[in-house]
Amino acid sequence: EFRPRPPPRVAPADSRTSGSEPSRLAMAAAALRAQLNALLANMFTTGMVDEQFQQLQSLQEDGGSASGFVAEVATLFIDDADRIIADIAALLDQPVVDFDKVDAHVHQLKGSSSSVGAQKVKLACMHFRQFYEAKSKEGCLMALALVRSEFCDVRNKFQTMMQLEQQIAACGPK
Amino acid sequence: MASSLKALLVEDTAVDRMVLSFMLRKFHCEVILAKNGKEDVDMFLEGNKFDIVVCDKDMPIMTGPEAIKKIRAMGATDVKIVGVSADDNAMEAFMSAGADDFVPKPMRLEVLGPMIQEVINMKNN
Repeated sequence: EFRPRPPPRVAPADSRTSGSEPSRLAMAAAALRAQLNALLANMFTTGMVDEQFQQLQSLQEDGGSASGFVAEVATLFIDDADRIIADIAALLDQPVVDFDKVDAHVHQLKGSSSSVGAQKVKLACMHFRQFYEAKSKEGCLMALALVRSEFCDVRNKFQTMMQLEQQIAACGPK
Repeated sequence: MASSLKALLVEDTAVDRMVLSFMLRKFHCEVILAKNGKEDVDMFLEGNKFDIVVCDKDMPIMTGPEAIKKIRAMGATDVKIVGVSADDNAMEAFMSAGADDFVPKPMRLEVLGPMIQEVINMKNN
């Protein structure tokens, strides 16, 4: 079960510190962390990501010098998946579709989405299989539309996640 | 868990290479990368020694099982070889090629950890 990280405790403002830059930054960081936790909770409860993504997060937390690992993996996944989806679309655009190549590309996307924990993309790839096995161009096009839709959703969430992490980092150390 | 294992990671997908190599380094393995089965075999032909090989199945130029067959035929029978794949039917292909273990993707730390410990124990004995 996903457990969001609690926001850091911020000392109540008093006459000496209220309005000071450090306390404003701390409050801003706390608000951003709350947003990030809500985003991550939503990604888990909607099934967009699964326990594999949670494992990547825990790898980062335990890793000491590994901050940014999840962002790096997410960025790599986004770039890879973008390219693979474009390649599949190009294959399906041919007058004679090479379904073996479609198979290979979908398999690759299934693997990388599984490794990053992008569950809905993985499931969409699994759904795709029946159509290229049946050599149905129309079925493949519908399946590709689903893959693309799920990928766009998780890509947007990953990008928002990374923006929030950058904003939190810009507020300074905890 | 302290380890001085030398691991060869054979994986063509960049995302999987990053995740798996990070996991192996978490167990203090020195990680060498190969992007397909041919690079895997070439590593052994060049005289490199590894304690563990983690190998994907479907790769360009040469697949994981094809590479494993060649490596075993070269006499590298001591090295632990673990096949990994998102393909549900991959286990038989890996095991008949000479792999010691098969793990379905995604790899989990709680699965990799005991494998690493097993190799450490064998090396120390």
